[in-house]
This record gives sequence, structure tokens and C-alpha cells, in this order.
Amino acid sequence: MSMANLSFFFSEAAVNLRRSGITAMVTLFTIAISLVLMGAFLLATMNLESFLQQMQAEALVTAYLKPQVGLSDAKALRLRLTSLEEIENIELITPEQAAAELFSSSDDQQLLQIGITPDSNPLPATLRIKVKPGMRLTPLLERLKTEDEIDNISYGEDLFRQFQGISDLLWTASLVIVIFLGLASLFIVYNTVRLTFFMRREEIVIMKLVGATNWFVRGPFIVEGLIQGITGALISILFLFASYRFILAKLALFTPFFVTDIGLDQFFKLAVKLFMMGTILGISGSLLSLRDISRYSKSVPEGV
Amino acid sequence: MIQLQNVTRIFPNGVRALDNVSLTIDPGDFVFLVGPSGAGKSTFLRMLFREDLPTEGKVFVDGKEISSMPESRVPYLRRNLGIVLQDFQLLKTRTVAENVAFGLRVIGASSSIISSRVQEALEQVGLSHKRRMFPTELSGGEQQRVCIARAIVNNPLILITDEPTGNLDPIISQEIMQLFLEINSRGTTVIMATHNHNLVNKLRKRVVALVDGRIIKDEAGGTYAYE
Ligand SMILES: Nc1ncnc2c1ncn2[C@@H]1O[C@H](COP(=O)(O)OP(=O)(O)OP(=O)(O)O)[C@@H](O)[C@H]1O
Ligand SMILES: [Mg+2]
Repeated sequence: MSMANLSFFFSEAAVNLRRSGITAMVTLFTIAISLVLMGAFLLATMNLESFLQQMQAEALVTAYLKPQVGLSDAKALRLRLTSLEEIENIELITPEQAAAELFSSSDDQQLLQIGITPDSNPLPATLRIKVKPGMRLTPLLERLKTEDEIDNISYGEDLFRQFQGISDLLWTASLVIVIFLGLASLFIVYNTVRLTFFMRREEIVIMKLVGATNWFVRGPFIVEGLIQGITGALISILFLFASYRFILAKLALFTPFFVTDIGLDQFFKLAVKLFMMGTILGISGSLLSLRDISRYSKSVPEGV
Repeated sequence: MIQLQNVTRIFPNGVRALDNVSLTIDPGDFVFLVGPSGAGKSTFLRMLFREDLPTEGKVFVDGKEISSMPESRVPYLRRNLGIVLQDFQLLKTRTVAENVAFGLRVIGASSSIISSRVQEALEQVGLSHKRRMFPTELSGGEQQRVCIARAIVNNPLILITDEPTGNLDPIISQEIMQLFLEINSRGTTVIMATHNHNLVNKLRKRVVALVDGRIIKDEAGGTYAYE
């Protein structure tokens, strides 16, 4: 592909975009609107996800140590774990403290029934771990499980599982929506490109007769699709950014779900995704409608 | 340069447009293709630039069998051909110069090469002063000359032309004929389908007559008559 070809494609695309004004606009806005919808769903999902993560992190993790672990080992373990970046602080509860807590709050008779007396104490030493806000829980749990001294861990599993379930559901839902919107807009792009293709048939026949390859004929159309895809994506990104910043941020003051700490970096990732989707939509719409180009680019046979 | 071996073309509707046609055309030849309407002249010419394929037989152009050439090679074949058809029009939204440039754009020529070659081709057809006009601002004869400029801009080996003087007045037809002779004198093989007896009879070139898809006459220095 030479520079001359590329510059020809771009100038052709520019001329054609100007000439096919309304159809070009239809393609552009189809892409922009579907990307806005996709982006809105992804943003909502990201938002809820980060809300869920915050909830998770507030849970305390309790690690029950094995019965044979002595107090000095427990202290050493506590020190070792405190250096982990996810952990805010760790409180070591000795069996005595645990029992004392129980005794101060419970009915002595009940405790005696389950076998706890001040002399024989079956309670293990435990670590109460407070996780730093915003940290993911799963990697920390994995890490804790590798410690020999730890017998088992409790962290409000039920709540965690529920959150995980909601969050999985959200991602699945937004994936379905993204695919659905993608296909719908691909269909519209396909049809508008098809339309412009037939409007320009005469020109295509001429290009083929002077020796243009199919890819050369497709070139300007693909560049057009690319320009429309990119422009549509930029419009949708600007629109989403403005709405998120100026409207939803206000809304967040009143609704607990909208955590406005989806940072710029998160938003940037979303923008990159939308940009890629716009580009892919524009190009694949063109490619799809030009796949059978040979069939339609014969010079009209003269009848007699 | 061009060779047809037992070429038959039967259309899906059963029409036998070419019937066992064999013919050789040497480099630098000037050939008139004559015959009544429906004889198969346009079908014959379309075989030469692979716009149509024979049902049976083989077509060779410049030593290559083009009737079995893959679709992807066809553009490269056409870059060596100049094609002027009656209904092979100009783009109305582009200037004369841009229309002529088309033949060079598709091969990715640089813009300096394009502008000098376009200028040359337009000078040959005597229209360089109208380079910035649009086709709708030109007469029929001028438009046809622009088509010829577009066909010769890449110095083709062969010029294939189907009724190029179809709806032009006799004087303009003469002028256009003169152009083809000039192009031929520079070594380009010219093959031209026509109904214009006057031109054929005056020029006394090789004449191939087709009737019902069969060659009934092939005469050097011949006349239009076919009976
Ligand atoms: N695409 C087609 N499908 C079916 N039949 C066709 C097709 N093209 C041409 N024919 C038939 O083939 C025969 C030859 O047509 P062709 O166009 O080659 O004639 P021609 O000699 O160029 O005539 P004219 O002088 O009128 O241009 C005619 O009978 C025509 O009806
Ligand atoms: Mg014809």
C-alpha cells in the first residue's frame, strides 16, 4: 500500500462523506448512540462493582489459628502479616481474651454446657484482620490460606458470595447488552454503506475497468467507515464524560449506589474500549457490505 | 498479442453469442470488428478484458491465458489495456483532468507523474485547455475524447473500443478516428467494433466480420461489407 494510495483513499473518503451527507450522518450517529448506550451500561456496572468492593472491604477477616500454635508463634505471624499491603491492622485475640469476651457477654451456664471453663479452654487464638479500604479480598484470602498456622478463615462468606454473584450478573448483563447493541448498529452501518455503495456503482465500474483491485475500490469506503467510527466514538466519549461528571456526580450526593470515585484512569479505560468498538464497528460495517464487490461491479452488458 | 482459440459463449438464456471463434491479432495491428446488431461484437470485446468468460475455448492476451486467470489478477491485465466503450461514461462530479487521472490513481502513481501524464494525454486528444471543466460542460465528441484520454493515459498495449463514434456526427467521428490512428502508429494494437461503413471503407484496415457469433470474413485492407 503506497502513500499515494492512502492519500487517494483519504481524499476520496472526504469527498464522498461530504457528498453523501445524510447517509454519512446516519452511520455516524448510529455508532455514537450505540456507543453512548454501551458506555452507560459499562459505567453503571463499573460503578456498582466499585460500590460492592467497598462493602466487601469493610468486612473483618477473622483467622482462627490451629490449637497447637503457641502465643509466640501467633505474635510472629501477626507481625509477618501486618506488612502485607492489603492489611490495615491486625488484632491478636488470645484464647483467654476470647473466653473472657464470651464470659462477659454470655450466660455462664450455657458456656459451661458447651465445655468452656476458665480451666479448659478449647478456643483457638484468633487474628482479627482489618482490610484497607478499596482492596480486593480474594487475593488476600488466598495469601492467608498459605500460612500453616491458620486453621480456617471467616470473612462473612455469604455476603461476599452474594456480592460476587451480583457483580458477575452485572457483567454478564452488560456483555449481552454490548453485543446486542453492537450487532444492531453493525446492521445499520452495513445497510447505509450498502446504500452508498450502490449509489456509487458507476464510479466503481469505472475503477474496475481501468484496473483497480477490489481492495483499492474498498479503500475509500473503509476509510470512510473508519472516520465515522472514530468520530462517533469521540462524540460518545465526550457525551458520557460530560454527563457523568456534571449530572451523575450531583445525583451521587443523593443515592448511595453512585460512588463517584470511578477515577479518571477507569474512565480512560472505558474511553479506550469505546474508541476501539467504534473503529471496529465502522470498519467491519464497511467490510461486510463490500465483501461481494465483484458481483456488482461489472459494466452493464448492453442488451440488443 | 491477442489470440482466441475456439471460443464459444452461450448465455444462460441459450443465446450463442460467439460460436467457435478463432482469431489471432498481432502487435500493432488495427482491426475493425463489424457485423449486424446482435452478431456478438461486444461479447467478443468483453472476452478481451475479462468482463466475460468463454463457455468453451481459450483467450490469450499478451501471451497469458486470461480465460483461466484468477479474478485477483484481472486488474493487472486491465492496466495494460485501454478501454473505450459507448456506455463507459465519465464521472459527472469530477473534472476532465480528474477523470483522466483515474487510470493512474488505481495503480498508485505519484501525483507528479499523474499530472504530467494527464497533461500529455489531454494534449493528444486536444483538450488540455478544458482540463478543469466538468463533463456536463462538454459536447458529446469532447466527452468521448476525454474517455480516449483516460484509456491511453497509461500507455496501454491494446486499445479496445466498442462503437466509439456511435452517436457522433461524421466530422467528429473522423477526428476521433484520426486519434485512434495516431495511437496505433505509436505501436498500440487497436481493436474497434463499429457500424460506421464510411470509416471502415475509407481506412482499409483489417476487417473481421461476425454474423450470428461466427467469423464469416477476415480480410486485410478490407471493406465493411459482410454477406
Ligand atoms: N448478458 C446477456 N445475457 C443474455 N444474452 C446476451 C447478453 N449479452 C448479450 N446477449 C446476446 O448475445 C448476442 C450478442 O450480443 P452483442 O452485444 O455481443 O452484440 P453486438 O454485435 O455487440 O450488437 P450491437 O451491434 O447491437 O452492439 C445478442 O443476441 C444478445 O442478445
Ligand atoms: Mg455491441
